[in-house]
Amino acid sequence: MDFKFSEKEEALRRDIRQFVKEEIPPDWFAVMLEEESRDEDWAFAMSIARKLAQRGWLTMAWPKEYGGQGATLFEQLVYGEEVGYWGIPGTSMGVSGVAWVGPSLILFGTEEQKKQYMPLIASGEPDGVWCTGYSEPNAGSDFANLQTKAIREGDHYVINGQKIWTSAAHRARWCWLAARTDPDNPKKHKGISLFIVDMKSPGITVRPLLNYGGGHIFNEMFFDNVKVPACNLVGEENRGWYQLMQALAYERGSVGSGLCGSTKRILEGLVSYAKETQYEGRLLSENPLIRQKLAERAIEVETLKMFAYQTIWKMTQGAIPVYEPSRDKAFGDQVMERLAFTGTQVIGAYSQVDPGSKYARMKGSIERLYLFFPGITIAAGTDEIEKNIIGQFALGLPRSY
Amino acid sequence: MDFGFSEQQQMLRTSARDFLAKECPTTKVRELEESEKGYDSQMWNAMAELGWMGLLFPEEYGGSSGTFMDLVVLMEEMGRSIAPSPFFSTVCLSALPILQYGSSDQKEHILPKVAKGEEILSLALTEASMSLQPSNITSHATLDGENYLLEGTKFFVRDAAVANHLLVVARTSNKENPKDGITLFLVDAKSPGIEIEEITTMAKEKHSVVTFNKTKVSKTDVIGQVDQGWNIVEFIMQRAVTLKCAEVVGSCQAVLDMTTQYAKDRIQFERPIGSFQAIQHRLADMLIDVEGTQFLVYQASCSIEEGTPSDLQVSAAKAKANEVFQKATLDGVQIHGAIGFTRDHDIGLYYRRVKAAEFAMGDADYHRERIAVDLGL
Repeated sequence: MDFKFSEKEEALRRDIRQFVKEEIPPDWFAVMLEEESRDEDWAFAMSIARKLAQRGWLTMAWPKEYGGQGATLFEQLVYGEEVGYWGIPGTSMGVSGVAWVGPSLILFGTEEQKKQYMPLIASGEPDGVWCTGYSEPNAGSDFANLQTKAIREGDHYVINGQKIWTSAAHRARWCWLAARTDPDNPKKHKGISLFIVDMKSPGITVRPLLNYGGGHIFNEMFFDNVKVPACNLVGEENRGWYQLMQALAYERGSVGSGLCGSTKRILEGLVSYAKETQYEGRLLSENPLIRQKLAERAIEVETLKMFAYQTIWKMTQGAIPVYEPSRDKAFGDQVMERLAFTGTQVIGAYSQVDPGSKYARMKGSIERLYLFFPGITIAAGTDEIEKNIIGQFALGLPRSY
Repeated sequence: MDFGFSEQQQMLRTSARDFLAKECPTTKVRELEESEKGYDSQMWNAMAELGWMGLLFPEEYGGSSGTFMDLVVLMEEMGRSIAPSPFFSTVCLSALPILQYGSSDQKEHILPKVAKGEEILSLALTEASMSLQPSNITSHATLDGENYLLEGTKFFVRDAAVANHLLVVARTSNKENPKDGITLFLVDAKSPGIEIEEITTMAKEKHSVVTFNKTKVSKTDVIGQVDQGWNIVEFIMQRAVTLKCAEVVGSCQAVLDMTTQYAKDRIQFERPIGSFQAIQHRLADMLIDVEGTQFLVYQASCSIEEGTPSDLQVSAAKAKANEVFQKATLDGVQIHGAIGFTRDHDIGLYYRRVKAAEFAMGDADYHRERIAVDLGL
């Protein structure tokens, strides 16, 4: 047992920190940056994405022939940690492309699909931005219940239906869509297929859904007789569910690494704040209650880090992580929540001030965190779903739903 | 980065688990709880023959030069089986600092006997206040010719009644910084002037109040340097805390296994109760808690092995272990329902041990304060 990184991994860490120094403003504290929301943030994020692409970092996990670096899982972990810690924008380009479209195309795509779409993502270009059409109004946790239909008509499919909570749909050039191709199959997992949809296709309507902070991250999407060429089917017809699960199993492994970077940064911010701020005649850091609370958060941040490391290590052993990403997600959500509450406790009344105000403390990051974390415990698998997975697959308990 | 165990560690785990399951089933645990000595000499000797006591000693002292992580593996298995024995007192609290700081005479005299199972040791550190702050060490030793005269009363000294020697922490001079002026003594537990009074506890661990009444201790029985003993206490602290946490992890794992099995077997409303989310999510939380603690223990152990333990890492493990053990056993009882609340049910053996582990080498508040200091607060 040994928890040190190799020299090569540490060198990458140094390179990333140097990049941050050169490319990111020194007072950047954007662990909760909603880069898809405002035009100027999006432009900045995309400019960084291109620079990350130039260094080969944006899609470092991909094999070299597809514009990646074939980076090891530990190198990806280091990158994820640093991205989370420094809040480097542009690393996900609307999440989907880098994280699972590319890896899925490698697994299931045709040569033409790989050639057409992957270089666009790997170069960090606006035409490489993707959104993902999974969730629907009646297919949230019960995602296999999705109702959007894709019916084959000659050399194309016709899509009808609605998607919701689609992050970055208003920025995306392409949509990675799950739709039902066999509505008659009584087994709902068995009639689903994956498609590449051009967001410029006639019949697509995107409507914003604003979050608590007023940010425009996710959207509703409507498909009204949208024609998709048959060559845009990914993998086998009606095997979409299984393809999606397989790709997801790899992608989910990295859930923890970004979170352990960002939680560490928030904790450090709070520690510095407590050391600098006088309250009732003494520093906050001299208040035993605050000391205890920050120590509690430090324990959780350490634990989250070890979870993230262990999941990645398990993957390096050739295992597909089964329940570990659920563990990391469920625990990471809790860490975020508690950091938000400890943050508001440390900063007090000023923690409710918007980031733009001159009265904001810690650049309003705790206010952002407070507004953001309730969504984290829901997005990409609710806390309840994660615990079902742990119950069923780690503990071998009977399916509970 | 490697979370894997060596082949040797895996073998050690398997053999320890098999041995303890066979030699110390819970019927035996209950029997030993009621016994006067609190352990079984035959089992103790067998443990020595397996090489457990000398695991970390070099060969010259009858050991096998194992790594700290080997000992962590062993402690996990001991925690799983909750086999009562003076192993923690002898090896974790006492033999390790003797190995590190003892004179060659002390090492030659004590360690081979420990390895053979012929020597039981314990640490007499805390006093009536149970504080771990150096300022609260009031026992003192005054030089009288070639001897020190030891005076004071130590509380919750585990296995004192069966110990051959005690490591006693006492003040030898009063300095400005309370950390200075503390010395460790290796004291023959049968010396004149020592009184040992048992404190009965819910875990039935053998704790005692030990009073030193002008007990004579030779100058040659000082461990390390006079007045520099607090460094040794810190050394013990980091190692013993980590090993105690490993024991707790093993216990928690046993509780999780036992309770998960019960949730699969117990039928209510025509189905296993483990199929209800109210039960399943509690168990999922328990798994997250237990694995998290386990990884913190491994992190602390690796740092100790590399010689760079941080208070953050060690104390994080202990603060978390304390809370996780409490919650896991309580949830374990709840999921077992009424049967879990009976004296005869094994889950209670673990529940009754929570406080012993919690207050051994510092409670969660104490360790969080250490973390706060380490964070720079």
